[in-house]
Amino acid sequence: MAEEDQLDLGSLGDGELIEEMHDDIYDGLKEPVAEGVGILIERGWPAGRILAEGLVAGMDEVGADFRDGVLFVPEVLLAADAMKGGMVVLKPLLAESGVQSMGKMVIGTVKGDIHDVGKNLVAMMMEGAGFEVVDLGINIDAGTYLAAIEEHGPDILGMSALLTTTMGYMAEVIKAMKEKGVRNDHIVLVGGAPLNEAFSDKIGADAFCRDATTAVDKAKDLMARRQGSLAARTAGG
Amino acid sequence: MINSYATLLKDDEVQRIHEASLEILSEVGLIVRNEKARQRFAHHGCNLDGETGTVKLPAEVVTEFMAMTPDKFTFHGRDGELDKTLPGDGPVIATASSAPNIIDPVSGRHRRALSSDIARIAHLVDQLAGYDVLSVSVLADDAPEGQFSLSRFYPAIKNTKKPVRASVLDRAEAEQVLAMCSLIAGGEEAFRERPFVTFGACSVVAPLAMDVNSTEMLMYYAENSIPAHSITVPNGGLSAPFSLAGTVVQANSEFLAATVLAQMSRPHTPVLYLVLPTVADLRTGAYASGGIENAMMDMAVAQMARFYDLPSGGYIGQTNSKTSDAQAGFEKGMAPIAGVLAGFNYLLLGGLLDALMTFDFGQAVIDSEIAMMLKRVARGMEFSEANLALKVIAEVGPGGMFISHPHTMERMRTTAFLPQIAERGSRDEWIEGGSMDAHARALGRAREILSGANHSVLSAGVDARIRAQFEGLVNGDSTPPEGWDGRPEKPARRVRRRRRKRRE
Repeated sequence: MAEEDQLDLGSLGDGELIEEMHDDIYDGLKEPVAEGVGILIERGWPAGRILAEGLVAGMDEVGADFRDGVLFVPEVLLAADAMKGGMVVLKPLLAESGVQSMGKMVIGTVKGDIHDVGKNLVAMMMEGAGFEVVDLGINIDAGTYLAAIEEHGPDILGMSALLTTTMGYMAEVIKAMKEKGVRNDHIVLVGGAPLNEAFSDKIGADAFCRDATTAVDKAKDLMARRQGSLAARTAGG
Repeated sequence: MINSYATLLKDDEVQRIHEASLEILSEVGLIVRNEKARQRFAHHGCNLDGETGTVKLPAEVVTEFMAMTPDKFTFHGRDGELDKTLPGDGPVIATASSAPNIIDPVSGRHRRALSSDIARIAHLVDQLAGYDVLSVSVLADDAPEGQFSLSRFYPAIKNTKKPVRASVLDRAEAEQVLAMCSLIAGGEEAFRERPFVTFGACSVVAPLAMDVNSTEMLMYYAENSIPAHSITVPNGGLSAPFSLAGTVVQANSEFLAATVLAQMSRPHTPVLYLVLPTVADLRTGAYASGGIENAMMDMAVAQMARFYDLPSGGYIGQTNSKTSDAQAGFEKGMAPIAGVLAGFNYLLLGGLLDALMTFDFGQAVIDSEIAMMLKRVARGMEFSEANLALKVIAEVGPGGMFISHPHTMERMRTTAFLPQIAERGSRDEWIEGGSMDAHARALGRAREILSGANHSVLSAGVDARIRAQFEGLVNGDSTPPEGWDGRPEKPARRVRRRRRKRRE
């Protein structure tokens, strides 16, 4: 490590630095990713480009190797955490320059349910993919969801449940959103072991996510269809 | 490690089986059909009845020669790294052997097995982590006259560096195989130093009879220090008493007789206590190799072997099922786990269906996975303060997540056996993958391996020397069967572009 530490990121050209940042994300090294973002900012890179080319592209490599079975979940989470390290540095600039992030998500486990392993995984993976995530925690009732939507103005609302007895509550939340007239302002993603596509359709959610990586894929896909989003602008690129 | 072996016999019952075996050998004796063996027994103090050919072994003779047995038995591979020594390296897992038939991997039809099948089986076994030893799974129906066993050994040895085991009919066949092995090793001396084949001999035919040829071979192997083991195959109700204890005591007597003869032939000949005990299904007389009683008697043999300070082994986890169905699964799953928990050291379990009559490529891949699960069990709990994870539990705390903790990262590839055939995805993913059952996935894996290169194949130079010496020898190459020569169904895995460079 000592010898490796001597690598001076600032001495690298843009292309090499980007590649180095992708490696660091892949290896789950938070500090050098943050440092790399700082250097690119100093070099005058626009925030949106740093996000897309430096961070999101790095996580795309991680995602591909995860799907191929090369990387395991703990490694992906570590990579996501490293990516988050870069986001912390980048976030003020993104806000300043008016560039939207990948998107914002409010997430929580529904009322009556305290199972949060799956929900936490989704939150971590979403952050790793560049989304801003507000985690409400467990046992969340419709009122709390609505208040959070109002406060944070998320693109996406995520709901999780592990129990067949609690998953029905998701319909209550969507009903409350409709009553308040905000249902169509947000993408609603649902997930949890007992759910399926048919349930998701029945309660009027936008998508059922069978696991954390699917959640990220579906979130990106649905965001790409929203006007003005970063995903929409970088899609196909 | 397994902390304490599962035992079905009490200590005094083990002692009683030993004493009863001595009584059988001295009072009932064995019919010995080989004249040289009769004389050898007689020369060393056994009582020979010249009329009937019955040999009775006094207890003191048995005790004297059993005291000479080494406590280890080694299987050598062409690659010394793949050597396995029992009991320390156990559970050592092998394919089950000598089926006449095979299920064609492309057409699914049942047919006679060929030497080309043996080449593919060796290639497959070489690549499957579950197997330590290739016990040549099938016969070769295309063997040229005079090369019956060479046509099995050659394609097997040619395509795997793992230890190879099979039987031969007679001494001339053994000498053929040994001549081939000397060519591979670069001389007879070099082969003797690391003999990478092991011969089997069914010298005792239950009940209590020693055959002419296989007894000749038992003595020949011992005299010439050629690795070999004897096996006894009593079938309760037909060739042994219809009780588990009765079949075990007879098997033990037969094992002792064969072992004593081997020690008489050359003291300190390595010995493996190898068995295939079954009880017949007396509703029909059917051979019930899939019966759970096979495992129970193997468990008892493991105890007897420890009593004699010898490694144990045998056929276990066989099935009567004709196809890789649930019956094959439960018969092949239940028996070996009992054997491993009982400290059975060497398990011939892989690849065969239909009471040892038929080989199946998909089943061989499934059985390799069973073997990996058995090896995981044998590793045990790996109890340590670090694995107890007290600090980790405190750090993560109530309601926390363990998945990204360094403790998890360090162990994520080693704590659990990661199956390739057992599938653990969601139903949607399973449907997207073609709704395949375990056998279809296993056959896909076999196809993937057999469509790929074999890095264990003999060098072309050595092969040419073998082919020059044995005219008309079967081809022995592992080539994908017709219909499998295209691209494997599964896309090749992306090559990981980057290497971890800066991780501590």
